[in-house]
Amino acid sequence: MRSGSPDASSNADAQPILELRELEKRYGFIQALKPASLAFRRGEIHAIVGENGAGKSTLIKLLTGVIRRTGGKIVWNGAEVELATPNEAIAHGINAVHQEVVLCRHLSVAANIFLGDEAVKFGLLQKREMTRAAQKILDDMGFNLPADILLGDLTIGQQQLVATARASLRGTKFIIFDEPTAYLTRSEAAQLFALIRRLKDEGVTIVYISHRMEEVFELADRVSVLRDGTLVGTRNISDTNDAELVALMINRSLEQIYHKEAIPLGKVLLETRNLSGKGFNNVSLTVRAGEIVGLYGLIGAGRSEFALSVFGRNPKTAGDIVWQGNVVDMRNERTAIDLGIALAPESRRDQGLNLNLPIGLNINLPVYDQINSGIVVNAGEEKRRADQQIKDLGIKTPSRNSLASSMSGGNQQKIVIGKWLNHGAELFIFDEPTVGVDVGTKAEIYRLFAKLLKNGAGIILISSYLPEVYELADTLHVFRDGHLVGSQAYREKTHEDILAEAIGV
Amino acid sequence: MTTEVTPTSVAPKRNFNFLFALTLVGLLLLLCIVLSIATPSFATGNNISNLLRQGSMIAILAIGQTFVIITAGIDLSVGAVVGFSTVVVAGLLQAGVPIPIAILITLAVGLAIGCFHAFGIVKMGLPPFIITLATLTSLRGIGLLITNGSTINITNEAFTLFSRESFLGVPNLFWMVVIVAIPAFVFLHLSKWGRYLYAVGSNPEAARLSGVSVPKMIFIAYGLSSMFAAFVGVMLAARLGVGNATQGDGWELQAIASTVIGGTSLFGAIGSVHGPLIGAFILATIANGANLLNVNSFWQRIITGVLIIVIVFFDQLRRRNR
Ligand SMILES: Nc1ncnc2c1ncn2[C@@H]1O[C@H](COP(=O)(O)OP(=O)(O)OP(=O)(O)O)[C@@H](O)[C@H]1O
Ligand SMILES: [Mg+2]
Repeated sequence: MRSGSPDASSNADAQPILELRELEKRYGFIQALKPASLAFRRGEIHAIVGENGAGKSTLIKLLTGVIRRTGGKIVWNGAEVELATPNEAIAHGINAVHQEVVLCRHLSVAANIFLGDEAVKFGLLQKREMTRAAQKILDDMGFNLPADILLGDLTIGQQQLVATARASLRGTKFIIFDEPTAYLTRSEAAQLFALIRRLKDEGVTIVYISHRMEEVFELADRVSVLRDGTLVGTRNISDTNDAELVALMINRSLEQIYHKEAIPLGKVLLETRNLSGKGFNNVSLTVRAGEIVGLYGLIGAGRSEFALSVFGRNPKTAGDIVWQGNVVDMRNERTAIDLGIALAPESRRDQGLNLNLPIGLNINLPVYDQINSGIVVNAGEEKRRADQQIKDLGIKTPSRNSLASSMSGGNQQKIVIGKWLNHGAELFIFDEPTVGVDVGTKAEIYRLFAKLLKNGAGIILISSYLPEVYELADTLHVFRDGHLVGSQAYREKTHEDILAEAIGV
Repeated sequence: MTTEVTPTSVAPKRNFNFLFALTLVGLLLLLCIVLSIATPSFATGNNISNLLRQGSMIAILAIGQTFVIITAGIDLSVGAVVGFSTVVVAGLLQAGVPIPIAILITLAVGLAIGCFHAFGIVKMGLPPFIITLATLTSLRGIGLLITNGSTINITNEAFTLFSRESFLGVPNLFWMVVIVAIPAFVFLHLSKWGRYLYAVGSNPEAARLSGVSVPKMIFIAYGLSSMFAAFVGVMLAARLGVGNATQGDGWELQAIASTVIGGTSLFGAIGSVHGPLIGAFILATIANGANLLNVNSFWQRIITGVLIIVIVFFDQLRRRNR
């Protein structure tokens, strides 16, 4: 006992709440997590950072019993534990909000919050009580969400908050957030941070995974870095800085993330004239060759719906889409693709990927019309194109035949982008292209944008991450409640002004 | 300290599929060997020909069924389509229509039935299970109405002779499997249409946003399944020499069983052409062997059920590989 030391106020505090000893996970030949040892202190906020596929989610899944370790030990409160099933983890008080929401879309918010321990009386579910209790929980946490609607009717961000509420209940002592803010609006993120701080004050230990450095520095007490499945270091947040963490993560230094070149603007590619549709109204804007047009706004402001209508997925209700000077009838996606428009959609799970199919097939799906010899697909060309994108985007996979579902979140996002880089287009619409993508790859993707622009393409960049659109967009439009409420040329206004426009104050 | 160390002899995925196909072939060979030892009448030319004829028809149905199941659908109507098609082709032949024309018309009728299914799914939003179930019952009714519940005898000798003859020592009906399976293999595994089919089964929204016409693929899958069933109807009419709307009873389940034994996932996006083929012949061999051994035919049904559970269970295990 080191009772004399200043920071060990009592024995219980000194003992780590959770300790990993040489913990390891292999998937066949892939070592997703190499033997790692790490102790989490009681009541700390511990951030974990690392590139895509570094093993962050793997670590979390091991701690929550979602997958089983292939080696090493986990020590909980001084005693070794198995953590073989999610229920065992929950019984210990270990909960997680996973990167991809794993709740039931067809149940109500309340039912999801109580899933697994429903209030039962005489064998019947007490629906009204449950809804009331759930509403109280949500209100207490400061989440502005109705408890009685279907989960599937919420945005991904709101679903993430429901998952958070669920995880914060049931005597939780240890709670893990895997990229919780990826799909949150700013105000939702603020609510989440407030909740996290409150949990910390209550003595709960928090593990926080994020690709956003500013969040790590805002919240965390300590930070651990994973690289290629290896735990390369742990730092006190006060002893480190952005540059050191990035260098640890990618093993090289990165001078500059946002890459912007002066590219002359060309002809007008796309023009929308008073375009209206489901979720947006009266939007007029133009995109020229060589230009990045940024669409900023809160999640649910109608940007994705606008994009889906331009791409022919949803019908417009009024206005015109003008493509290179001609009014066109965007009947379906095929029409848009054939004209030269590509859309990398917002949700990789629901819209972007065929998860249980190989990466190669995903990447080539839009181009199978072009790579045939006779009636059969040209297998050589198919391989070449898939490998090209895997190499260009640094997709971490043993082979193009691996299933998309076995990729880490950020690597899945790269497949969605690679699919359209492979196809090529004159106008690329990227909807939240860097959600879950690590800094190094972000920089690569922005560089690729510049390359596309130089080749005469135009880009619509939809992002809820202001620094990204702010630094990259030649023209930045702000959406609020389905309307275009403000526009600026590159760096014309301040962050604060743009934010105010988006929120409407 | 009992940390579980799972064995990690995990090879890349493709080898797995290859292994699975090999296991199925092995199972089939094992069955044949055991049966040849158990009963002298199994390994006779006559019996093998018979087995091939019987297995051929289910095999062709299973290929069509696989296309549908890969799109995460199901086609319950194929047995009824077989029965109905025997009536159509028999009626046409008896009306003096030349054989090739009669066959083409029957295939066209099959295609039309499949398009009707796709229409119900795509345009009316009906679940595949429901629309094909509706066809299953009503099509037999229509067939019985047309024939007044009776059987049409086919007097065209050339037509019925075909099913009994062989080419290069292999029954003609088995050659039909080859004729169907080769283009089916090219379609599913080598052409872009096959890729699209998997994509639709895996995530229709993602397929759509990648420019794949989902309705078109649904039409193709159900159209082919019903057309294959009509083709089997022609084969069966030739074999039996009659047209009767009650023929092919329960064949949809045999086709689905063959498909599933052949490694197709009922959740869609997983399946092959060769798997269901082998699956169909495994089932045919079991039926044939059981007959020869005088095993009560009720047992055959039980064995088939157990086999489905065992094979699919191992298939799931292999896929899970966590
Ligand atoms: N089911 C699986 N089968 C095979 N490999 C897998 C499986 N799940 C994950 N992996 C691999 O394990 C590695 C680590 O993945 P993990 O999801 O932990 O990454 P991550 O650090 O969370 O990345 P991201 O920032 O992209 O979310 C990756 O290379 C991934 O491809
Ligand atoms: Mg992850």
